[in-house]
Amino acid sequence: MHGNTGKIALIDLTENTVESLMLPEETYRRFMGGSGLAAKIFWDRADFAADALSPEALFMLMNGPLTGIKLSGASRMNATARSPLTGGLAESSCGGYFPPALRLAGYDGLIITGKATQPSLLLINNGIITIEDAGSLWGKGILECTTDLHKTYGKKSTSLVIGPAGENMVPFACILNEAHHAFGRCGMGAVMGSKNLKALVVNSEAKELSFADPDRIKAMTKELTPRIKNHLISQVLHDFGTSGNLEGHMYSGDVPVRNWTSNFDEEMGDALTGSTLSDRFLKKTATCAYCAVACKRIVQVDEGPFALDEGPGPEYETVVAFGSLQGSSDLAAVCKAGRVCNDLGMDTISAGATIAWAMEAYEKGHITDEQTGGIPLLWGDMETVVNKVLPMMAFRKGKLGNLLSMGSARAARASGGNSLEYTAQSKGMEAPMHDPRGGHGHALSYAVSPRGACHVQTAMHFMETGACNYPVIGFEFDLEALTSEKKAETMVLAAAIGSIENSACLCQFADRSLTLPEIVELINAAAGYGYDVVSMMEAGLRIFHLKRCINYRFGFGASDDDLTPRLKEPARDGDTAGIEIQFDEMKDRFYELMGFDPVKGIAFRKKLESLGLKEEADDIWPQTI
Amino acid sequence: MNMSQYYKDAEDLYKIYGYFLDRVLRDDKIGLKMSKAGIIIKFMYTDPDAEITIDLKNPPSKEGYYGTVYMGPCNVKEDVWSKQPADHSHRFWHGLENPIAGITKGIIKQGGKVTAMLKLLPVIKPAFQLFPVALKEMGLESLIVTKK
Repeated sequence: MHGNTGKIALIDLTENTVESLMLPEETYRRFMGGSGLAAKIFWDRADFAADALSPEALFMLMNGPLTGIKLSGASRMNATARSPLTGGLAESSCGGYFPPALRLAGYDGLIITGKATQPSLLLINNGIITIEDAGSLWGKGILECTTDLHKTYGKKSTSLVIGPAGENMVPFACILNEAHHAFGRCGMGAVMGSKNLKALVVNSEAKELSFADPDRIKAMTKELTPRIKNHLISQVLHDFGTSGNLEGHMYSGDVPVRNWTSNFDEEMGDALTGSTLSDRFLKKTATCAYCAVACKRIVQVDEGPFALDEGPGPEYETVVAFGSLQGSSDLAAVCKAGRVCNDLGMDTISAGATIAWAMEAYEKGHITDEQTGGIPLLWGDMETVVNKVLPMMAFRKGKLGNLLSMGSARAARASGGNSLEYTAQSKGMEAPMHDPRGGHGHALSYAVSPRGACHVQTAMHFMETGACNYPVIGFEFDLEALTSEKKAETMVLAAAIGSIENSACLCQFADRSLTLPEIVELINAAAGYGYDVVSMMEAGLRIFHLKRCINYRFGFGASDDDLTPRLKEPARDGDTAGIEIQFDEMKDRFYELMGFDPVKGIAFRKKLESLGLKEEADDIWPQTI
Repeated sequence: MNMSQYYKDAEDLYKIYGYFLDRVLRDDKIGLKMSKAGIIIKFMYTDPDAEITIDLKNPPSKEGYYGTVYMGPCNVKEDVWSKQPADHSHRFWHGLENPIAGITKGIIKQGGKVTAMLKLLPVIKPAFQLFPVALKEMGLESLIVTKK
């Protein structure tokens, strides 16, 4: 096998055993790798009755066919499990340094089950996997733990670590690589915590990988690197980070303000945007493996209540979640909140969104002083958020910590009034910081994404903003952001492309420079799949449909493909004020185009079979349908 | 051969943009915000071929303005340049073209400090309302483009 190593480790933490799983090459080709391959393995091996945090639950890490090639944005990795936040399929993507290190150690992925009897870590040392004691690390923050692991296993080792939030099984706990790169969403950190797994460490001395056409890989890397580096998006990311165009997004109605009650605040846009971050706090940039873009920020806050040593800085999502969404334009507070979340191991989107919801609920009297333990939850009071609320959430401390650690949807159900209506989520997962009222395609994308409200599971975000042009599949038209026109049709393509990106484990920023034929060529040169654009797009759709089938097995249906009222109500100010999202119209048309059953929310047997999902169709549909 | 729907020739383009940019660079909100960019931008057009340079870096040559405009080739060295068909620019100033899509499709070419120019996009958005007003004031209502 090329590109892929053909070897996946099966690790049972209860039995303390490690075995190898060798899948047929055809399975790799059909499901590509990353999230697609993980979804197929999940379908085949998961116990669908098992709770997300039970020993029986699967936790998987999976590389893509390109992982390890020395090209910007090609070495991400997927994590897959059942989500403790949504109860459905969980998937998350991470860059950093762990993915190529695991590939060089000889593995495409890891499938972890069981529960260790004591805090443990998984050590992958030149291909040998052992389960080690991690008692001395349990309870430590991610920053300290990562430093300790480097001291123990060497500077060249790289790790995935959970923090106290993961140990305490907060359902939106995350996993961090090098205390900077996150498997942020869906609560993967809690899944690791439930298995008593504090960290994974990999060390590999291998330097070379096997590719189907190494000369072509070399030539393409040489050709594509300068193009990716010089692309407008890359330049903005390099100069100002992922929040580089925040002020521009603010004008287009994309940036939520005060728990989505507004999507326009000019002053906040200026105060929080990436150039302000660069001017005030940037010390240097940082990267994922082999990336020339360097969108990561290293920041330092010299003085004030949020003073901070030099270290990882906030991404766009963190800037908004702990900035405008909570009614704050204090960028120093954002830097501190992001760092605290990283150390505690909490997803900044879900944590920030849950706090913003709580601020509104407190203002409305739906959360009382009795429930907060006397801690006032006031818009923009970031000292309280940073110093009190975040640690309470991670440690599930007090009534407030317990309430907010559930995430916004469950916390709302446990609170008063109509507070569920003004959560901003789908399937229980908080929406990322892109307001669907500034781009109506987002509304559809958030609702039908298998993992819950998400802007990276499909390519809609970039297709709607004009950052994509795919003439080879007929997508060469401009979309009007504030209408439903062509959104369902685009969403079919976006679902396939998003699945390709997450299965090939490509960075959705860097791959904006690539055409679909170039992605095909890269995958073929690396893994020898023999794709053309049509078969690659078909694989993308196959993967998307499979994920929908997994959610169906978990009890999700068409009615779960929805947004909360807050996300669907017309915007109140800015250029997007008063414009209705035609949500039902978009969803109905998308269902029609995808061949979905209007109740079950999955494709009918014939459609599934046409995509090569016969076994899956047999499991779901009676023979007659 | 000039293929423009809106401009007879470069002189025609300079006349229209001269009037419009005069308004923009005197505008206390838009002009002031533009001046904070502190850059020199060269807009190059095709069909008809033309060049406009806006200096937001040096002190304005005229009182009451937040920048200086040069119509036609000049010796002022730009920090960033952008090249596009004049008709595309005409629709852009009506708020009818997505500049990101224009760049993605290669309709707009750019060079230099492009991130600095990108930061101007939200700043100039209010000027989209001024452009049709300027055309009307010039008696050129027929050049006003409406959304299809």
